[in-house]
Amino acid sequence: MRAEEVSKAGGRSGAFIISARKRKLQRAVQKAGESALLLIASFVAIVVLFIFYFVAVDAVPYFQLRGFSEFFTSSSWYPADEPGEFGALAIIYGSLMVTLGSTLLSVPMGIAAAVCLSDILPFSVRQYAKPVIEMLAAIPSVAFGFFALVIFAPLLQTQGGPILMWAWWVLAAPFLLLAIIVVSDLLTAKIEDQNKRQQLSMVLLAVFGIGALAFLYWVGSVLRGLEIITGTNALNVSIILSFMALPTIVSVSEDALQAVGRELREGSYALGATRAETLVKTILPAASSGILAAVILGVMRALGETMVVWMASGNSSHIPEPWFNYLEAVRTLTATIAGDMGEADQVTGSARYHVLFAMGLLLLVISFFSNLISERIVVRQRKILSGQ
Amino acid sequence: MNVGTRKILDRSFTAVGIGSIVVMGIALLIVIVPIVFNGMGSVFFTGTIEHRNMLYNEFGKGNSDVLARENAAAGAYRREIYSMLSKFEAELESMEPEKQQELRAQYGPVRTALQALFGPLPGDPEAVLTRYKYGQTRWDKAQEKLHEFLYEAKWDYSDPNAMAKEYFVSRAAGFEGTSLVKLFPYVEKNLDRLLRPEFTVYWGFLTDSSVDSHIFGGIWPEIQGTFFLAVGAMLFAFPLGVIAAVYFTEYAQDGFFTSMLRSANSTLAGVPSIVFGLFGLAFFINTLKVSESKSVLAGSLTLAIMILPTIIRAAEEAILSVPKTYKEASLSLGSTKWNTIMTVILPAALPGILTGGVISLGRAAGETAPIIFTAAVSVGSAIGLADVFSSPTPALSWNIYNLASEHEAAAEIRHVQYGMVLALVGIVLLLNLSAILLRARISKKLKG
Repeated sequence: MRAEEVSKAGGRSGAFIISARKRKLQRAVQKAGESALLLIASFVAIVVLFIFYFVAVDAVPYFQLRGFSEFFTSSSWYPADEPGEFGALAIIYGSLMVTLGSTLLSVPMGIAAAVCLSDILPFSVRQYAKPVIEMLAAIPSVAFGFFALVIFAPLLQTQGGPILMWAWWVLAAPFLLLAIIVVSDLLTAKIEDQNKRQQLSMVLLAVFGIGALAFLYWVGSVLRGLEIITGTNALNVSIILSFMALPTIVSVSEDALQAVGRELREGSYALGATRAETLVKTILPAASSGILAAVILGVMRALGETMVVWMASGNSSHIPEPWFNYLEAVRTLTATIAGDMGEADQVTGSARYHVLFAMGLLLLVISFFSNLISERIVVRQRKILSGQ
Repeated sequence: MNVGTRKILDRSFTAVGIGSIVVMGIALLIVIVPIVFNGMGSVFFTGTIEHRNMLYNEFGKGNSDVLARENAAAGAYRREIYSMLSKFEAELESMEPEKQQELRAQYGPVRTALQALFGPLPGDPEAVLTRYKYGQTRWDKAQEKLHEFLYEAKWDYSDPNAMAKEYFVSRAAGFEGTSLVKLFPYVEKNLDRLLRPEFTVYWGFLTDSSVDSHIFGGIWPEIQGTFFLAVGAMLFAFPLGVIAAVYFTEYAQDGFFTSMLRSANSTLAGVPSIVFGLFGLAFFINTLKVSESKSVLAGSLTLAIMILPTIIRAAEEAILSVPKTYKEASLSLGSTKWNTIMTVILPAALPGILTGGVISLGRAAGETAPIIFTAAVSVGSAIGLADVFSSPTPALSWNIYNLASEHEAAAEIRHVQYGMVLALVGIVLLLNLSAILLRARISKKLKG
């Protein structure tokens, strides 16, 4: 009887023990599963560390062999000579030049497009505009490079002057017209008498208009007369790169603009501002840090791009003369890595091989810090907008 | 400022915004239209008898009887040329040495131009390269070559301040007084009888391998290589990315470690593509030695790392967009977290995850820089599935660069380059389009 009881109790408690064990096992499996998930999730971080490590390990021998000064201060790049010269200054300058050029073109356009997408266009039109931007982002870089090399470069070489002139007219004429209207308005704003004001403003418009036309015509004829020696130059690459950077700038700054709430917009409208005034004076300043992050990402897209610059920049390692001459061929860091590795590959261990890794490390460090900065900016903006 | 000016400013602000979107659309069209138009020319074109001969000899395609009849008809006209040439050569022998030398110097380019049009002439040694075995296979190219045959291009350097100008001199004029003069009008008049142009649809461009480094034939090895590389990259990156996304959305607690992981993710997304190539070379090939030298495996791994952040981000977004109520309902029914993820959240998020996957697949197919040092070769035949671990492959993206910039006859094979670009852009845009459509369906479904 006792034994029976014991066995019964034992049976019960045994069942209980088994279930506890099961639960423990389950918990252990869960823990193991979670740590496996964590391991896989941290794979990305491991990869980033590995990229830094392996690029740096192959870059350091170059600096041990040749030191730092030549790389950053000399612009004679003759890696194939015996002994080679590895001055990357002109190459770094070329990278900066095409990046700056593409930024100047893409940032105003990108911000204008983002503003338009987030605040101006109705939803039905936006649905069609977004895929255009996505398709622009999806086209492989080598296809853009092919376009730049085979179609755009010959066009720029033969018809470059007229193209530049037309671009100048189309871009500058409306802005000058606007500027004239605003300036004459501001100058006449103090006059009380309505009729007098209108007359004066008409006169001012006419005077400024003639001046502006003359200016437009003069710059246009200078541009038209430009002789473009090669179509594969910094200008070509800058234009193509700007279209490649645009989708990034547009989508990130659109996010930033939409993160600015309705309240600010409605407040501004309620005070009697027009839509343009609301956007320029209220929304853009509020979203400025997010837009800055977008610009940084766009700049990185242009700086890190390889195929377009390799195919269409002319690959000539010298600083243009004068320094802002976008019609000369340049050479960039990415194109140098891509182009020189083929020959350097056979002599793994030489300065010629490691210098390319040094360039890669430079790109990597720049991209790392700009990413970090843009991320910080986005986080800060989100905090500010959500009211600390 | 007065109200009128403010209105004008407001309107023009709108115009600038819309203008920049229109500029983007136009830019897209300017890039796409010539690529599509010229790319179609690699499949649909007017082919000559040389094209049909090439197809029959190199790929065994075509009807031998019809071809023999056509060759006989064209041959009748060509024999006339050959007899003119031999007559002129005999004439040359009988001339005084000075005149002979002068004419010989002019005769050489004429022969070369004829070889370019109609293939080897009688008495030529057997051609070693396939490109010299045939004349012009395309009618548009044949007409360019005809111009080269009829006129000699010269450069005018007379004005030292301007760029040199090109001008053309008739070759026939140089042979005034010899029997060869008749050759030029004869070829010009009878070109269609000599080459028998016919509208051709050459689907083989997509399915044939290339002959003599893309002078003839198709781009199948490149298409297959691109497929292997992109799918290989997805095989590695997709599972990893989805699992990481599940961790980030369902398990990760806010803290230093998680924010560091997220930072790492966005850093990885921002690394320039060429640096991935360097890393692939230094790590997968030189350190891990996954293969002796370049291989599809090394290239796929490199591409996988590159597309990983995109997949993680897309999968995260897809999982976050699953309504909270689904998850809560499942948990309240007593199912475990793991079970909820596997049976409720992931199936609901699957279309969104797939959308990200498809876009990443397109990105992997289109990238060039990471595979330059790790997987791509410029010439090569299609590789078998068993070779992916050891051998490199040609790929569309790399070969577009290579044919356009480094090929010795780059200007002669523009149609092949355009065809390749169209194939690549077509693949990538189709993938993206399907992703866009998929997403539109999802958003409809989620709205109910």
